[in-house]
Amino acid sequence: MASQSRRTPLERIEYILIVSTLLLLTVFTLQPLLNLLALSFTEPSRVAGFSGLSIIPDGFSLEVWSLLLQHPNVQRGLFNSIWMTATSVTIGVLGTALMAWGLSRPGLPGRRFIFIAVLVTIVFEPGIIPDYFLMKRLGLLNTPWAVIMYKVVSAWYLIILVRFFEEIPKELLEAAELDGANPFQTFFLVVLPLAKSALATIALFYLVLHWNEFFRSMIYLNDQTKWPLQVVLRQFVIEGDRVAIVGAANASGNIGAAQINIRALKAGMIFITILPILAIYPLILKFFTKGTMSGALKG
Amino acid sequence: MVAKDGQKVAAVLSDGNVPGSREGLHERVLDKRSGAASAQDWRAKLRQWWPYYAMMAPGLLFFFIWHYVPIWEAKMAFEQVRIIPPNIWVGLKNFQQLFASPIFYQVLANTLIISAMKIAFVFPVPIIVALLLNEIRNGKLRGTIQSAIYLPHFLSWVVIAGVFIALLSPTDGAVGQIQQAMGFGSPSNYLTNPGSIRWVLVISEIWRSAGWDSLLYLAAIFAIDPQLYEAAEIDGASRWQKIWHVTIPGIVPTIATLFILNMGLFLSADLNQVINFQNDVNASTIDILDTYVYRLGLSTGEYALATAAGLFKAVIGMVLIVTSHLVSKRLTGKGVW
Repeated sequence: MASQSRRTPLERIEYILIVSTLLLLTVFTLQPLLNLLALSFTEPSRVAGFSGLSIIPDGFSLEVWSLLLQHPNVQRGLFNSIWMTATSVTIGVLGTALMAWGLSRPGLPGRRFIFIAVLVTIVFEPGIIPDYFLMKRLGLLNTPWAVIMYKVVSAWYLIILVRFFEEIPKELLEAAELDGANPFQTFFLVVLPLAKSALATIALFYLVLHWNEFFRSMIYLNDQTKWPLQVVLRQFVIEGDRVAIVGAANASGNIGAAQINIRALKAGMIFITILPILAIYPLILKFFTKGTMSGALKG
Repeated sequence: MVAKDGQKVAAVLSDGNVPGSREGLHERVLDKRSGAASAQDWRAKLRQWWPYYAMMAPGLLFFFIWHYVPIWEAKMAFEQVRIIPPNIWVGLKNFQQLFASPIFYQVLANTLIISAMKIAFVFPVPIIVALLLNEIRNGKLRGTIQSAIYLPHFLSWVVIAGVFIALLSPTDGAVGQIQQAMGFGSPSNYLTNPGSIRWVLVISEIWRSAGWDSLLYLAAIFAIDPQLYEAAEIDGASRWQKIWHVTIPGIVPTIATLFILNMGLFLSADLNQVINFQNDVNASTIDILDTYVYRLGLSTGEYALATAAGLFKAVIGMVLIVTSHLVSKRLTGKGVW
């Protein structure tokens, strides 16, 4: 854009003010997270005096992390979160791609009707109670499937994929057709490989959605052993159920548990929960940013 | 995007029959006259399209079961639920009971107040952030700031509530410590104070979404014709004059669209957020329609009443969203879908 060749002193001051405002916002965003991360590594004896403003651990200890990672509730939560998310994402990506492929074919009888039926689900959600009775009727109460199957095909992501599939050059499909491919072969051997980047984007969307899901797990899973990490975190941090973490840790023969400050444990627990998000954050940035920049609110 | 499929060439993968083309359409209309021909046409179509329906089947089944069966279940709002079925049809009695209860109005008021506060205080922040970000010419610096402020958007509300509980802790939270250092007295517990908890909702919403939402406005700013800036520069416009006369007019349509769409969500004050910040002490001020339905239904077992409240929210919400979509489409050419 416009070059900034001639800078008056006033413009320099303005620029410094702009940068400082944004840096302040960055600090406001990151400081609370970095503080908790530092807290989780702080020497247990010094946790009590650890300031909420500091972002450097006071001493260094892995005790909180090793305690949490050995804790049966956390291990189970981690295991449940991983398999439930993996299952939802796999079913979701495959189901969405298959449905989007059909919907993207011009001339498919009933295409318009299906489209409208899908759009209706975006604007009308009947609510928690009918959903609860549906799960009850399907016999899914207290099973992970009540959680896994939620938004397994999301209307938004479906529409994104339909748009993508509509852009695939028809010559490629005709070529496959001439080579004798049936529609299934065309889809799996030609379309899916072409749609790799779109599928990766959708997979990331679903990954974030399902990893962060807690409400359904909270209402549908009574059995603690089935809880994903978010619900374990919620019980401990939001509901302040100390017994849940410390008590079980003591019972499991981990003597250090009682001495460890609850604050540090909570901080570590928060970080275990967001670790996967942080690990794939560069990927998230790349795909989400591109998707939002190009596809924002076109309609 | 739905309507133009007829024109798109449907020769793809077809075996001679071209269902989407004008000829195909014409034939089909003619075929309606004779039953036999139409049945044949139908069979040919099925032979051509069944693989696609087979591929769509899991998704269609999912949509039907997960989104349409609950609509049928929602008829409970008009029934008296009995332990031993069948339920008895009572018409609008549940709604009358709902509208007669003072708690319902308190909850409705809370929902509207929280939504209004969010529109007034959360909505402008990403616009300002985008305008500021756009002024930074150093790509690396801008990229770093962006990747930092986008992060909270991808965290769950459980995590964010956990972060804010630590942040606002009266004994060792950052907010309290700053407050003390600056001599504003000892910190109170903002999370259990009914007077301040709504502000906690507003600020945590800003923390979560201000960065990410600025991306939409930034995209709009990047779409502005650079020549406009060059012309302004030649005319000797200052930084503020350029922002005021070029950038802001350029993003007004985006602002308008997002504002209208936000209005469509007026009855959803974000269940996932509120449920994590809610406690026994602050419930009176942040109990919203969704948490009310949840409590009424799943904790108290007032299924019919809760369904009625949920349906009230769903219907009004749907009207608001569709209206805001249509208004947005009319005014700016952009909508929700």
